[in-house]
Amino acid sequence: MATASAVPAVPKRTRGRLVYPQLTIPFVLLILCFAAWGTAANLTDVMVGVFRSIFDMSNLQAALVQFAYYGAYFSLAIPAALINRRFGYKVGILTGLGLAALGGALFIPASKLLVYEFFLLALFVLAAGLSILETSANPFVIAMGPEDTATQRLNLAQAFNPLGANIGVLLGAVLILPHITSEAAKTIMSPEELRRTQEADLSLVLGPYVGIAMVLVVIWLLIFYRKMPTPAEQSQEAGDVKSGTLARLWRNPHYRYGVGAQFFNVAAQVSVWTFTILYAQDVVGIAPGDSGWYLQASLILFLVARFAMTYLLGIFRPTKLLFIMGALGVALCLIAMFSQNMVGLLAVVAISLSLSLMFPTIYGVALQGLGEDTKFGAAGLVMAILGGALIPLVHASLMDHVGAAFAFIVPAACLALVTCYAVFDLRTNREGGELVAEVPA
Amino acid sequence: MHLSSRLLAIGAVAVLGLTAGACGGGDGDGGAAGEKQITIGLITKQETNPFWVTMREVAEATADEEHDVKLLTAAGNSDVDNRSQVAALQYMTARGADGILIAPADSKAIVPAIDKAREADVTVIAVDTPTQPRSAVDALFATDNRQAGELIGRYARAKADEQDIQPRIAMLELSPGITSGELRHDGFLTGFGIDDGDGRIVGSVNTEGDKAKGRRGMAQLLRENPEINVVYAVNEPAALGAAAALKAAGKSEGDVILVTVDGGCDAIKDGIRPGAIDATAQQYPENMAREGVKALVEAARRDEQPPRYLNTGVELIAGDSVQGVESRNTAFGVRNCWG
Repeated sequence: MATASAVPAVPKRTRGRLVYPQLTIPFVLLILCFAAWGTAANLTDVMVGVFRSIFDMSNLQAALVQFAYYGAYFSLAIPAALINRRFGYKVGILTGLGLAALGGALFIPASKLLVYEFFLLALFVLAAGLSILETSANPFVIAMGPEDTATQRLNLAQAFNPLGANIGVLLGAVLILPHITSEAAKTIMSPEELRRTQEADLSLVLGPYVGIAMVLVVIWLLIFYRKMPTPAEQSQEAGDVKSGTLARLWRNPHYRYGVGAQFFNVAAQVSVWTFTILYAQDVVGIAPGDSGWYLQASLILFLVARFAMTYLLGIFRPTKLLFIMGALGVALCLIAMFSQNMVGLLAVVAISLSLSLMFPTIYGVALQGLGEDTKFGAAGLVMAILGGALIPLVHASLMDHVGAAFAFIVPAACLALVTCYAVFDLRTNREGGELVAEVPA
Repeated sequence: MHLSSRLLAIGAVAVLGLTAGACGGGDGDGGAAGEKQITIGLITKQETNPFWVTMREVAEATADEEHDVKLLTAAGNSDVDNRSQVAALQYMTARGADGILIAPADSKAIVPAIDKAREADVTVIAVDTPTQPRSAVDALFATDNRQAGELIGRYARAKADEQDIQPRIAMLELSPGITSGELRHDGFLTGFGIDDGDGRIVGSVNTEGDKAKGRRGMAQLLRENPEINVVYAVNEPAALGAAAALKAAGKSEGDVILVTVDGGCDAIKDGIRPGAIDATAQQYPENMAREGVKALVEAARRDEQPPRYLNTGVELIAGDSVQGVESRNTAFGVRNCWG
């Protein structure tokens, strides 16, 4: 059984506090973790174009970066839960931090060897660590203070995730993209000059990842040497499947289709963000140094829109909004396909507006009324992240054959399926309680 | 320098809108790396064609990256404005330029002015267009126009073979006696595997590289030979004109193989991408500017003479690839186009 000790008894004076007094510093450290995985995830979006340029490879080959990253997230979700269960959240967090830092450090030998596959391995290890970290940190944050402030505490911690995401893109836009050797310059280089150029460009990639690794090592040391009372585990973990849970979930079409909708939502999100920079470069001809700013604009729009959607969700039926935003997303993808100019690029950026409400809305609708099956059902929804590993490969492959613009048929189809889910829910009379709030992993 | 010529130079330079910027930020003799400040000039043909604008922008950026490099820039009023270029050469020499990059508007007429600059110990590199004779400058940094022509010739031949058509070739030329046009012409014929006078060449017209003249010329050739199915255009404005004429004549994009040279953004996005132009040989003004500035810095600081000739690169950009001919796709063309 888990080695985690019980949460300290809650003195009366701590009620209403955000965090137990003795856990303030660990809480701050965990907040840094939330920012760290946002940074790493969205820096990876930038990397697809960077690796394509450095190794002069196809879009499909370059998109393996996302396959490695999200594939690791998917693959490690269950092992992460098992680690937490067996050894406790602190061990889970330390394992995740250590593995992620190792992944960042692996960029050093990778950049010396100049082998793309080594970078994929480094990214896989980094993402594997972050997956464990995320799985451990969410419930840990919930347990770091009184129950009545748990949601507030989790929201505060998660607010640092998009902040980190924006920092990730900023790192790419400022430190990497403007300094990558142009393809035109490479046309006149000798093999030796090309090798030196590759080394120089890969050293640009190295910087941000080694920086992230160093930050993670510092957090690891601070958590390792700090006596942290670890909270008790929840009564039901993902591994504890009550009898008949799977069958009940499978018989519930709202849940079954919800998992599918979430798969295609994550797929659309990762595809759009991965290929925004490449659309700017390949279709509009934006210089690499400027192209990163369009992804930055997408993330900022996503962040702002998410707040706006939270307000609107209080007014309108969630699936009605989901339907409108899904249809808008499809329309924007079609504009991106057929307006192969700045209008198309702005449409690509605007897709983030429609994406902003999808994850929490699908999450809530799919889990509505599941009762004791909610936690296991939530795990299934989170594992729909597999869409982010697989569908960008389809998008990239299509890009290689029909170009960056027409390849947006892929997110268009994904968003159309999400819209269908909204229609399905709207046409069904459901009995159920409140929507379930999003608590990732 | 005589006072009159100095005044002429200053006056012309004022008309040209010559700009000087202290790129690199240093104003003394010693740079950040302890190296002396140097002055470099760039003289292009004009400022409206994006080819020359890209060249200037990249030269400015490169000078900015080097320590204590002051860049003077000037441009003529047209592709044939030799007088302004002579004045700019004199002005830059008088300002103590260590080296000058020049794209000669008149390959022969510019030579005496270049001679004077070199006598004043200025290193001169011709960019894009060679001088006549080529030995009039220290170096030439330019596209291999013959190679460019050969690439599109090979592509057109492979595509014609793939479509199993009997080629009826129209040649949209530049003007007689202009080296770059002649080299592209020769390269195209070599790539296609034919010689001048081959029966498959059914018509030829001079366009001066102009879109309207390209359109008129193509329309005229189509009237004389409606069965034309392969078109060589010396540059992209002429090719876009030809595409318009072909469309007006009711030819669809698949009926005629149209190939050209340049790699500007307009032609890639509005010609290659929709299929109106089949392929272009893309050249890189950014390489001419960047390598030119670096070579002049090396010559001034380390007394390293630039190579006599630097091929600044050319890539075949095709909407559809054909078997046996290596090409880059439209996305590559868009990423690296100028303008």
